[in-house]
Amino acid sequence: MTLQGMSVKELNKDMLLAFYEQLWRIRLFEGQVQRLAARGEVPGFPHLSTGQEAVAVGVCAHLREDDYLFSGHRAHGHVLAKGSDPYAVFAEIIGRQDGVCRGRGGSMHLVDVAHGVLGATGVVAGNVSLAAGAAWAAQVRGESRLAVVFFGDGATGAGVFHETLNLASLWQLPLLLVCENNGMAEFTSREEHSNVAKVSAFAVPYDIPAQTIDGNDVLAVYEAAREAIEAIRASGAPRLLECMTYRMAGHYVGDAQHYRSKEELAAMKQKDPIDRLRRHLVKQGVSDNELEAVAARVKTELDAVVDRARRAPRPDPATVLEDVYSTAFAMAQRA
Amino acid sequence: MLRIRRFEEQCIQLAESKQFSGHYHVYIGQEATAVSVCNALGPEDFVFSTWRNHGHLLARGAAPDRMMAEIFGKATGYAGGKSGTLHMAVGELGVPATSALVGGNLPLATGAALACKRRGSGVSVCFHGDAALEEGAFYEAMILAAVWKVPALFVCENNSIPPAQRKRGQFTSSTLPAAQLADVPQSLQIRTEIVDGADADQLAESFERLVGEVRRGGGPRFVEVRCTRWPGSFPLWPELPDGPWQIAWAFDGKPDRADLALWLEQSDPLTLYVRKLIAAGAVTRSQLEAMDARAKEEMAGAARYAIDSPFPAPDQAYRHVWA
Amino acid sequence: MKISFAEGVAKAIQESLAANPRVLLIGGGIMGLNTAARALLDPVLRDFASRIMVTPISELGLAGAGVGAALAGDRPLVDLSTGSFIFQAFAQVANEAANIHYMTGGQTSVPVTFYSLAGRRGGGAAQHSHATQALLGQVPGLQVLTPGGAEDAYGLLKWALLESRNPSVYLSHPLLFDETAEWIPHDPFLPVGKARIRREGRDVSLIASSIMVPRALAAAETLQRQHGISAEVVDLRTIIPLDRDTVLQSAAKTGRAVIADECHHSYGVAAEIAATLAEKGLASLKAVRRVTMPDVPIPFSAPLEAEITVTAEKIVAGALDAVRAA
Repeated sequence: MTLQGMSVKELNKDMLLAFYEQLWRIRLFEGQVQRLAARGEVPGFPHLSTGQEAVAVGVCAHLREDDYLFSGHRAHGHVLAKGSDPYAVFAEIIGRQDGVCRGRGGSMHLVDVAHGVLGATGVVAGNVSLAAGAAWAAQVRGESRLAVVFFGDGATGAGVFHETLNLASLWQLPLLLVCENNGMAEFTSREEHSNVAKVSAFAVPYDIPAQTIDGNDVLAVYEAAREAIEAIRASGAPRLLECMTYRMAGHYVGDAQHYRSKEELAAMKQKDPIDRLRRHLVKQGVSDNELEAVAARVKTELDAVVDRARRAPRPDPATVLEDVYSTAFAMAQRA
Repeated sequence: MLRIRRFEEQCIQLAESKQFSGHYHVYIGQEATAVSVCNALGPEDFVFSTWRNHGHLLARGAAPDRMMAEIFGKATGYAGGKSGTLHMAVGELGVPATSALVGGNLPLATGAALACKRRGSGVSVCFHGDAALEEGAFYEAMILAAVWKVPALFVCENNSIPPAQRKRGQFTSSTLPAAQLADVPQSLQIRTEIVDGADADQLAESFERLVGEVRRGGGPRFVEVRCTRWPGSFPLWPELPDGPWQIAWAFDGKPDRADLALWLEQSDPLTLYVRKLIAAGAVTRSQLEAMDARAKEEMAGAARYAIDSPFPAPDQAYRHVWA
Repeated sequence: MKISFAEGVAKAIQESLAANPRVLLIGGGIMGLNTAARALLDPVLRDFASRIMVTPISELGLAGAGVGAALAGDRPLVDLSTGSFIFQAFAQVANEAANIHYMTGGQTSVPVTFYSLAGRRGGGAAQHSHATQALLGQVPGLQVLTPGGAEDAYGLLKWALLESRNPSVYLSHPLLFDETAEWIPHDPFLPVGKARIRREGRDVSLIASSIMVPRALAAAETLQRQHGISAEVVDLRTIIPLDRDTVLQSAAKTGRAVIADECHHSYGVAAEIAATLAEKGLASLKAVRRVTMPDVPIPFSAPLEAEITVTAEKIVAGALDAVRAA
């Protein structure tokens, strides 16, 4: 669903309910990942976007299928919001053949070219310059698509982030940089490792217009992203959107978050983006029944997805040497 | 400044007559910066330089003969011929390592500054160029220096400035969109200054003050020193249009080439400073000539030393892998 | 007393910080330690808080800062976290730290230790699973430490932090943390550059390092019990410096060498050992086999990853093949 160009005031009840449904889809999806991980069914360490759903939903509402999306290790929400099939994404996370990467990538390396998801990479800030490259390619080819890259505030300590700001500005790339500033870089809070509180400040020397907004208000995200994306499509110049949000789960599943206080964790719950939209919808006259029906429908949908994914076959070990190179002949050597 | 100028001219002449091989970089036109900074430093301080290191090393007290020997790759060079000009370092003078990678020395300088902070003495100076701001290492090193609040002074010698912009105005780079280079470290919450690289007095005053601030625990500083390239400056092989600098040019003499004459008038820290001293009556022409004779003799001696020194024995290639 | 690999790491850091004020930690996350090790380390991180730098995610900047601090007289441990992230820092590790002593003609040295949690961890996928020892082995001037047991986890790290004069990459391993070994206080430390014979044998030499050590030991046990084959296990301990003499002696004794290595097959540590045996040990050698990871990026899905992992079973198979060959 894309609502390209509609301002937030023009959104009707059904459209808002659709946002609500999307937020729930991500929330429950992540809940399922967490549940299965606790049972040992998810290899590795998935990183959940619980609490950060509004950023994905608000931004992706304006993206076309052919716009490029890049994300990082915390990508599930972005990929779902971009339109990837939840079954294929979940199957990938649990390493099944039907996964978007045939089980080869896993949670941190989700790619779904059909939906424009060109890359989620597991190295912090690794994706930012990739997105600039994709934007550049689109520009060179004279296309009207843009590239969006999601990254966290922790990524702004990396030199490549700044190199990319420079390139995006110099080359005037159609690139939207979306920073989910959740104040945490792995296990270190922003105050501890940075003397610059707001990521928007980094964009100033490069004349990249930047905005800092409440990332837990999906309508605020929607509106700010609309303005930024329209500007990029019109002018082909980069923009940065900093969305202040909270990582409600740990850095990865299994992270007990001893480094955060109970008070902090409790305060976060107050700002839950789903609750915020629900309150707004109630004020617009949506009934509790309607809201519960949405949540129930999504739950049923995802239960079926998870069930099907769990029964899906695992990849055949004999295929392990495929896809190292993109040519037909086999170069990988068995030990 | 004069010693640096004469040393660099020797390099060019020796390279042109093929006395040593490999490409090299000279500091002509930037001498005042090295001298101003290093005059404010003491033995406990660290200096990090780049491939354009001759001026910094001389200002720090390195011996021209051992430097020249190193440029020639001789056994008597500071590194026994292992570094050549590109990585020339003098550990005992607080120049512990010299990176030839753009942006390579910035994190080193932050680290040394950290060590200085921990021991309670010393500052760490990092000379680099404008291109370093294009490297991710610049940001990482600066952010760390700011967060750790270490005594680091980043001296950015921006040698691409047209004369009109040196004292004021924006600097338009084709590789960095910032209006001022200093805008970049400012966005990282680091205090910055812009100084005219042709004004020796301003440089001296500024660095005396800045080194003091850094030394007193004020955290890192970034200084953009704006310099204008001289006409002989070419990327690989510098030249001396109209030969070595002449004292006469500080008086009423002029070089034949108009572009050089203009550069001397507008942008050469050496010429401008000599003229200032003369105008103030602080030095006479004959004093200058005596100084110059000494400098020329010293650098000619350095050249002879380098030429006469032996190359290292081949088996020296295996030494110094491990400390 | 028995200590775990993780406790060895924590103990080494604790004792080094206490022993020398020049030791500092750039980043103190030291990810993946078990509870007992964290119980050892966390109080230390508090007690020495002024010498522990909290860090942003800036591997290049931090690595370089570590080099710079070492140049200025400190002895830092730079926590580069997951082994694959060393690539972010590579310019400083390989092109600065390793080169400086040489290219200054011996004037300055860089006693920095890069802590790297490398190797296949299970489910880490392509970007978190690198075994970097062969890549790093190609960098003259860099010491590459690959402890294969708890006593060496402790001893090598402590040596790097307190005694080494040169830059080191200390390759910790996420799957080794729970391995235990007997640790005797004041026991003389086996010098760096000497391999450790973990098990004596007559019929085949299993050459291993890091995570391959416990797997080679398990393989040796199986070979003895099920096949009556007596396998010697050589723990290299360090890739640079490499103890070629011990390897050659063992291979001369048994006549067969099976090298187990978590690096990729081509251009790996096993390739280097095999070449050494070919150059200097041919006279008494009947067979050489490498048991390695194939040349593929590490896949995520469990059966795919299992397919390429170097297990004790595969080492057994390699040894049987070597024994049957000659």
